Amino acid sequence: MNPVEFLGNIIEVSHSNLEISSRINAILNIISYNMDFDEVIVFTSDNDKRLTCKYKNQKSVLFDVLDKYRCHIGEGIIGSVAQKRTPQYFNDKNMPPRFGCLFYSEIDRLLEKYKIFAFIPLSDDSYIYGVLVLCSRSRHILMDAEKILLSIVSREIGGVLRTNDLLLSSKKRISELATLSELGKVLTSNLELQMLLKDIALIIARALNALFITIKIDNTFFAAGPHKYTYGNIYPQFEHYVNNLEQKAVQDKKTVSLINQLHDENDVSIKYILRSTPIMSKDKVLGIITICERIPQKDNAYGQNEGYLINNFASYITNGLENILLNIKLKDIIKELNSAQKRIIEQEKFKCLGEMTANIAHEIRNPLVVIGGFTKRLAKKLHMNQTESKYIDIITNEVSRLEAILNDVLNYVKDTPAPFESCKINDCIDEVLYLFSTDTAWSNTQILKDYDNNLPSVICDMQQIKQVLINIIINANEAMDGKGTITIKTEKTEEANGRQYVVVSIADSGGGIDPSDINNIFNPFFTTKERGTGLGLAISNKIILNHGGKIEIENVVGKGAKFFIYLPVKTIKNGEVSI
Amino acid sequence: MNDVKILIVDDEENIRFLFKEELEEEGYSVETATNGLEAIKKAKETKYDLIVMDIKMPGMDGIQALNEIKNFNKEQMVILCSAYGEFKQDFSSWISDAYVVKSSDTSELKQTIKSMLTT
Repeated sequence: MNPVEFLGNIIEVSHSNLEISSRINAILNIISYNMDFDEVIVFTSDNDKRLTCKYKNQKSVLFDVLDKYRCHIGEGIIGSVAQKRTPQYFNDKNMPPRFGCLFYSEIDRLLEKYKIFAFIPLSDDSYIYGVLVLCSRSRHILMDAEKILLSIVSREIGGVLRTNDLLLSSKKRISELATLSELGKVLTSNLELQMLLKDIALIIARALNALFITIKIDNTFFAAGPHKYTYGNIYPQFEHYVNNLEQKAVQDKKTVSLINQLHDENDVSIKYILRSTPIMSKDKVLGIITICERIPQKDNAYGQNEGYLINNFASYITNGLENILLNIKLKDIIKELNSAQKRIIEQEKFKCLGEMTANIAHEIRNPLVVIGGFTKRLAKKLHMNQTESKYIDIITNEVSRLEAILNDVLNYVKDTPAPFESCKINDCIDEVLYLFSTDTAWSNTQILKDYDNNLPSVICDMQQIKQVLINIIINANEAMDGKGTITIKTEKTEEANGRQYVVVSIADSGGGIDPSDINNIFNPFFTTKERGTGLGLAISNKIILNHGGKIEIENVVGKGAKFFIYLPVKTIKNGEVSI
Repeated sequence: MNDVKILIVDDEENIRFLFKEELEEEGYSVETATNGLEAIKKAKETKYDLIVMDIKMPGMDGIQALNEIKNFNKEQMVILCSAYGEFKQDFSSWISDAYVVKSSDTSELKQTIKSMLTT
């Protein structure tokens, strides 16, 4: 045997693209052929710290016996080599009785034919991948050079096993990551809960090759509806276990699992693992996910490490559900906000309606005056008997009653007196502007704000001041036909007499007010609008006058009008307002 | 009393009619106008002891007419008489001499007229 050629062959095989078992078996055959070993067997170290007989040379006889048993690290010669990570060599004279984990006669009988034995660990500096076992019938002695050669070869085999391990675990990791990213995508989508559960179940089922998956979500956290999805069919024999597991998982607030066995039609037993994990948000159980997988027959260590995956899935789902919960809450809040805004707009409209009511009341009062007035005249002119007088009395009384009602309505509309309060005028303007923010009549209106942020507060009836602002700002927008710029400026001024005012100026680009109208715009019922009541500015003016302020107008025909609302800066001392 | 001339300005015919009847019954000589412009025209042509002026009227409203009339005849007495009571307390800021809210009971109007004519 030429060692260089021998190693060359082995390296060539180990670096080839063959599947892992073909590669290792081929290496074992090369060893067997070149070094005259009848048995060249590889035990691999599994995740459960046990050794499994996995690869062999072609003419191996022992493999079929050894394959039946697995041994722990530390047990027998194979176990101790794996533990100590040092090679051991024996001949037929000093071979210890325990080859592997057990004393078993079949092996002992077969072993009698072999003259030399070698047990070489397949390891690197940190990890043991397995043990290489060699037996020869024809050879009596192993040279040191051959031992060195075997240790080199064992390193090569260890390398192949390690690369394979890495490859498998990275493939697994990649597929897990892919699954998680798929889950992430689904969970951040805006799917309905039921669709979401379906997608989650499908993704997990595909990733784990699961037999069935069932996801249940507690209805109380979400809108009503059957929030349960099962992928695949739960075997009737399993239903009981599934229910028990789910209860236990919810109770313990952690993953619980159960291994079960069924027999197929050929009476071959098939093992299943059932796992239930609660979907937890902080301390609340939002739902539960149960997965059933078949345990691969050959994979002895199966299920030791897979548990973390379901936990991962559950925490991903938790995140997703929390998002959905947040979304639902957010939607509710937005709904609430919208309805609150509508209410506010309604209220403001009602204020404007006040004007309408005043107008309608005015229209009604005229005919009432006529009816009542002439009835009274009739009563005076006619000489009536008792019955007729009674009729007339009824009419005049009813008219008086209606007039009284009108007075009440008007009084109610014109002022529901509110206590004066300290108010930041900038905030007040912003609240008013907010009312228009969703109004389509304002979509082409640009509003420029130029606020003095150090304004003193004004003492006022905020609702009334808002009504004034609404009136003037709406007038500005209507003057521009809803297209143009409204500039709102706030500042503080002091007049010659020492009085301090907060001034709000509202300028539009609507071409200004016709000079012939300018002296009348504060008159009640004066309007240039087709459907105006003529009361808006009149009432606004009255409100501001009542506040001790004034409204001034700067009108540039062809450019625009600028309204100045002066509100006196008052101070409250000992509960009394003073200017 | 026949020499006391009153002008009633209102856009509603029935109101004019009612007030005319009521005031004529009191012995006043009553004429009517249907809006501010007509009122101004009449006030320029004829000397009235008193004008009863509605506020909301098409053409020219009562307050504009009131201002015009006071411009050429500061002495002209004008009562604003509106169905809308909201601005009653503001009438003093305008230059009218009185403000009466329209009512089927015309006694307040008559009372106001009487007291204004005697002072």
